[in-house]
Amino acid sequence: MMRVVASCLLLLLTGIWQVARGAVPEIQIEIREHLFYPSTVEVPANQKVKLFIVNNDATPEEFESYELNREKVIPGNGKTVIFIGPLEPGEYPFFGEFFPKTAQGKVVAK
Amino acid sequence: MFLSTAILVLQEILEAALLVSVLLVLSRQLTRTSEQNLRISLSWLPVAIGAGLVGSWMYAYFFPEISQWFDYVGLEITNAAIQGVILLALMIFCFMFTSVNCLHRTHRLGQLTPVLMAVMVSLGIVREVSEIILYLNGVLANPTNVTPTVLGASLAAGIGVSSGIVLYFLLLSLSVAWSYRLSMLLLALFAGNLASQIVILLTQADWIPYSRELWDSSAFIPEFTITGQLLYALVGYEANPSLIQVVCYCCSAMIIVVSPLFLHAWRKATGGSANV
Repeated sequence: MMRVVASCLLLLLTGIWQVARGAVPEIQIEIREHLFYPSTVEVPANQKVKLFIVNNDATPEEFESYELNREKVIPGNGKTVIFIGPLEPGEYPFFGEFFPKTAQGKVVAK
Repeated sequence: MFLSTAILVLQEILEAALLVSVLLVLSRQLTRTSEQNLRISLSWLPVAIGAGLVGSWMYAYFFPEISQWFDYVGLEITNAAIQGVILLALMIFCFMFTSVNCLHRTHRLGQLTPVLMAVMVSLGIVREVSEIILYLNGVLANPTNVTPTVLGASLAAGIGVSSGIVLYFLLLSLSVAWSYRLSMLLLALFAGNLASQIVILLTQADWIPYSRELWDSSAFIPEFTITGQLLYALVGYEANPSLIQVVCYCCSAMIIVVSPLFLHAWRKATGGSANV
């Protein structure tokens, strides 16, 4: 019950806050066969961006990036949201910690 | 795979082992040097470890559902909440050793301390071990990974636990003065680490606004090197922390430094009379 109330309050506040600030660009990244699609993600520089990550594998994967300071496990067949930025123009590599040799990508801020 | 597993498991175990060692040392020293007959039993440890392991299994089990809470940032919020409770317990622990309490409520202190320590350790274990469980779940799906992963994890767990044991005996082998000083210093850094991690998690979930990067030390100690990873595990080293992160780290550490327990330990250390 408290969880529902808390989520509703938060959604309401987030909604109001976002409407007040302007919507955050959302970019989708897919994980399939332990690879990121797209592996190069272009985002606008100096702006907060929402990465919507969809894991189409049955096994969990961890999205991690030292440069972006982000780290999150995404359950198998699950979805998640990670906020990044505002970023200075440049390249920010990320990788999948569970399958680091194959799952690699980078965020390019322009 | 062997190396990445070993490093990850080592990081998690080291964080928990550091906390356990320091708390055990403080339990022993507070009991040993007590003038008011304060007794802190060590029996909280097995209970805390057991509860922590059960909790971490449950956390990992419910992880897909939890990750969908709060618009897909449930994991960040839950982890931040766990860190928050540990930090709160730590602060209560450090602040309850006032001179009044030490003189008049020694028995209560002796009862409350193990409870707080058990809360800190079991929640710490829930967080650390659940990450290990999720990681193992992920990589063991690939059959070629099984041997190097199991070997890496076992080796790292062994090293982590041994390091904790070594730290415990090392701290106890020092003079009372230094053993108190170092333990409290480590607790202060641990508190800073907790606060910093809470900030990162909430920033990732967009519950805290962005603040600019304060420095970038990745040229000196990159986060992906072994040194960087060990420093991350022990003191929460970040190569490019944000302003809010650094502020919270410092505030948290300072709160521990000005706490009655720190001052009490310092007084004991310099041979002044103290009340416990």
